[in-house]
Amino acid sequence: MTTSEVQYDESGKVRLHDSCVTDANQPVFQEDWQRRAFGLAVALSEFDHYSWDDFQGELIRSIDTWEEKDEAPSSWEYYDHWVAALERVVDEHGLLADGYVGPRERDHDDDHDHDHH
Amino acid sequence: MTDQFAYPSDRESASAAKVQALEALLIEKGVITSTTVDKVLGYFESEMTPLNGQKIVARAWVDEEFAALLANDAPAAIAQLDLPDGMAGAEGEHIAAVVNGPGVHNLVICTLCSCFPWPVLGLPPYWYKDPVFRARAAREPRAVLTELGVPLEEDTEVRVWDSSGHSRWFVVPSRPEGTDGLTEEQLAALVTTESMIGVAVVEPPATVGSNA
Repeated sequence: MTTSEVQYDESGKVRLHDSCVTDANQPVFQEDWQRRAFGLAVALSEFDHYSWDDFQGELIRSIDTWEEKDEAPSSWEYYDHWVAALERVVDEHGLLADGYVGPRERDHDDDHDHDHH
Repeated sequence: MTDQFAYPSDRESASAAKVQALEALLIEKGVITSTTVDKVLGYFESEMTPLNGQKIVARAWVDEEFAALLANDAPAAIAQLDLPDGMAGAEGEHIAAVVNGPGVHNLVICTLCSCFPWPVLGLPPYWYKDPVFRARAAREPRAVLTELGVPLEEDTEVRVWDSSGHSRWFVVPSRPEGTDGLTEEQLAALVTTESMIGVAVVEPPATVGSNA
């Protein structure tokens, strides 16, 4: 299972997730799609299609929205937020839009325009 | 619980399908190639591992000057070591070290988005991103540390560091006693990822493996 429920003990404290206590060496990804989502978000940032700050801002927004719900959230899947943030940042930067100009082409145009070389 | 947070049974496959479709579209549009994501993942999984953090901590234990630089300017200190290329990328420029010592124990969390010093520690363990862990570690770090088996003296100060995009903290744990005769390499092997997050202490070699 990839979901976890927030639970409370008799004193009203949030109970620590079992895996925190019992197994500090859990796999980094539980499903392969999480690994792909991670790699895709990092790759697009590393190749300057957007800044990591842009992606992280969307990730924070997505998690904030989830955490600010009135009721105690019943399930949690970190990489759902990751995928939501990825979709938004790809959309905002127009990566899939017709006529998108990638960083390499942009650099090339700059060099040409300003005769840097 | 209300239905507000009901977890659709197909959510898992929905996210998986979204990622697959997005990657395929980006390849089709020529934004990335079919090998781009694998290359990036391969680099992370082979080069950005806790082995880097272990080497950094061991050097700090044997070299006071390095330890001082690490505390003040972690990227500059890390650049002195023979670590994989690209350590400065992948958010490595935001890495900062906090040092455990007598009376001080540091714990690193990220309350917002699970920022993590990838180049030093690799990718975070899954529980690090659990909201329960994050919330409790922020609110009652001492209780959480006790449950995780980290014994702290009453007068030990616990400092909780909230990682963000601009400061990705890692902990330089205390060097265990009884390690005077060890080489830097042997010392590095004692250092665990958990100790560099602050949810464990480094055990002296005599007790390693005996707590199963």
